[in-house]
Amino acid sequence: MLPLRIAWRFVRTSRAQSALIIIGIAVGIAVQIFVGSLITSLQASLIDTTIGSSPHITLADPKDGQPVVYTPRMQTMLASAAGVTSVAPTRQLPTLYVNGSDKVPLTLIGATLPELDGIYHIASKVTAGTASLRIGEVIVGKDLAVKYSLKPGNPLPVLTGSSKTSLHVSAIVDLGASAANLRQVFTGPDYPRGQLGYRADQYTDVEVQLSDPFQSKPLAADWTQRLPGVKVSEWQADNKDLLGGLQAQSGSSLMIQVFVLVAVALGIASTLAISAVQKSRQIGILKALGMADARTGRIFFAEAMILGVSGTGLGVIVGYLLIAGFTLGTKNSPSAFPIIPQPGFIAISAGIGILVALLSSLIPIRKTTRLDPIEVIQNG
Amino acid sequence: MADALIVADGLGRTYAGAVPTVALEGVSFTLEAGEFAAIVGRSGSGKSTLLNLIGLLDTPTHGSLVLRDRDVSRIGGVERASLRNELIGFVFQYHHLLPEFSVRENVAMPALIAGKRLDAELTKRVDETLDVLGLGGLGAKGANDLSGGQKQRVAIGRALMNRPPLILADEPTGNLDTESTDAVYELFRKVNREWGTAFLIVTHDQEIASMTDRILEIADGHLKQDVRNEFAKPSRGSRAV
Repeated sequence: MLPLRIAWRFVRTSRAQSALIIIGIAVGIAVQIFVGSLITSLQASLIDTTIGSSPHITLADPKDGQPVVYTPRMQTMLASAAGVTSVAPTRQLPTLYVNGSDKVPLTLIGATLPELDGIYHIASKVTAGTASLRIGEVIVGKDLAVKYSLKPGNPLPVLTGSSKTSLHVSAIVDLGASAANLRQVFTGPDYPRGQLGYRADQYTDVEVQLSDPFQSKPLAADWTQRLPGVKVSEWQADNKDLLGGLQAQSGSSLMIQVFVLVAVALGIASTLAISAVQKSRQIGILKALGMADARTGRIFFAEAMILGVSGTGLGVIVGYLLIAGFTLGTKNSPSAFPIIPQPGFIAISAGIGILVALLSSLIPIRKTTRLDPIEVIQNG
Repeated sequence: MADALIVADGLGRTYAGAVPTVALEGVSFTLEAGEFAAIVGRSGSGKSTLLNLIGLLDTPTHGSLVLRDRDVSRIGGVERASLRNELIGFVFQYHHLLPEFSVRENVAMPALIAGKRLDAELTKRVDETLDVLGLGGLGAKGANDLSGGQKQRVAIGRALMNRPPLILADEPTGNLDTESTDAVYELFRKVNREWGTAFLIVTHDQEIASMTDRILEIADGHLKQDVRNEFAKPSRGSRAV
C-alpha cells in the first residue's frame, strides 16, 4: 500500500510529466483501437460485400450437368452442423431473356423465397416491387432492370432450349455486384425443375452459408469425407486473390499496431527511467529509513500501473471518439461502412496497454533496486 | 554487557579495486544503551564509514558487529532494512526530507514503512513529536515550506518516530547556523535524557564533540582514542526546544 501511496504522490507532484506520459499512452491505445476496429470493420464490410450474399460452401455432383441428390442424410448433416446459418437446395438453369431481337443470357436460380433469402438476403435488397416467387414470378437484378427498362409486373420472356415462356417480374433487387445484377434472376423451384427434368430431391447445387465464412475450409474438408460422391466447393478456394488481399491488410494492420505499442513502451520506459533518476534521492532516503529494495522497486511498478491504467482508460475513450467521429464524417459517403467497436478487441488492447506499461517499469525497478542509499546521503 | 547496544569487534571495511582501499580497520568498542557519544576525526578518516556500518547501510569486510545482542555482520538486505527501520534513527547533514509529502507524513514515514497506517492514533503520536520539536501546528505544511532549521528538526522527528534505541547523526548541524545548532543539540540531549535514546554523533567540530559524554576519535581508519568526557559542556545557548 505504501509503494502505491508514494507512487501516487510522485505522479501528482510531477504533473506535467505525468500528463505527457498519460497522453502518450492514450494516443497509442486510441490509435491501436481505431486502426484495429477500422481494419476489422473494413474487412467485415469487404467480406460481406464480396461473399455475404453468396454461398460459402456448395455441394454438387462431381460430374458437370448431373444433379446432386439432397438426401435425408445430407439434410440432417447440414441441419446439425455448427456454424451453418442457411441451406438452399437450388436448381440453376441457363436461359435467354428474349427482348425483341436481343437474346440476353441469364441464370435462373430456382428455390423457395425463404431459402434464397437465407443465402442472398433478397428481402433487404429489394429496390422496387415486393419480393414474391409464386409460380411464374421472378426477381431480377437492378442492372438488368435498368438496361431493359423492366419494372415490377412486366413480363420477362425467356427461351430455354426450344421452350419459350413468359415469366413476370415481382421485384427488383440490388445484389451489390453489377455482374450478378445483370445475370442472376431468382425464381421458384418448379420452373427450372421442369426444364431440367429433375426429380423432387434432385438439384444442381445445395448452397450453404455460414456465420463465420472463414470456417468454410475445415467444414468443407469434413463434409468431403462424410459425403462420398459429392463435390464440396468452398469460397476460399475460389477467391485466393481476395484472401491474399485480406491477409495483407491484416498483416499491415498488425504491424502498425505493434509499432504503436513499441513506441508507447519506449515512451513509458524512458519517462519512468527519467523519473527513477529524478527520484533517486527520495528512494535512497526511503531505503535508509528501512524500506527494502524490492519494496522501493514496487513504487515504480505502482507508478507504471497508475500511468498505464489512466493512459489506457483515456485511450479507450479517445478511441471511441475517433470511431464516432469517423462514422459521422463518412456518413454520407457512398463507400461508407460502419466501424463497429469490438469489446473483446478493445479489452485486449487495454490489457496490452497496461501490460506494456508494467513491463516498461522493469528498467526503473532494476535501477531503483540497485541504488545505494549511501551515495544519495553523501551527495546530499 | 546486558545493556550493550553496539559491540564492534575488529570492525573493518576494505573497498575492492585494482588497489584495494582500506577505509576502516580493526575498530573495536562497545556503546551502552542511552549513551551520548561523538565520533570525531578529519575528513576521510573513516568516521562516516563506521557510521554506515553501524547504520546497516554498508557491510563490514572484516570483524563483527553486534546490535542489541544480535550479530548483524553478515545478514541479508531485507533483514538489514527491517533492523534499520526498527533499531536506528538517522539524522544526516542535509535534512533529506521527501518534498512530495507533508511534514506530518515525513515524520510518520518510518512508521509507515514498518507497516503502520496514518490513522488517528499515529497522527496523534506524530503531532506530539512535532510539539516536542517545537513544530506544533506545522504538520499539514509541505516539507519544502519550512526553514532550514525547521527542516532539520522535522528530520530529527522522523528519526525518533519509531522510538529507536539508537540515533546516528552524521554532521547533523553542518548546514545550520549557531542558533539552530544549539537548538538541535539541546533537543538531542533532551531526548537522550528523557527517552534513554543512545546517540552516536559524527562531527569534525571539537566544540560540538565536547558537549557529548564520550568521544571516539578515528584517524586513518583506526580508532585512535576512546575517552569519557566527564566534563561535557552544556550547549552554547540554553535555548528551550
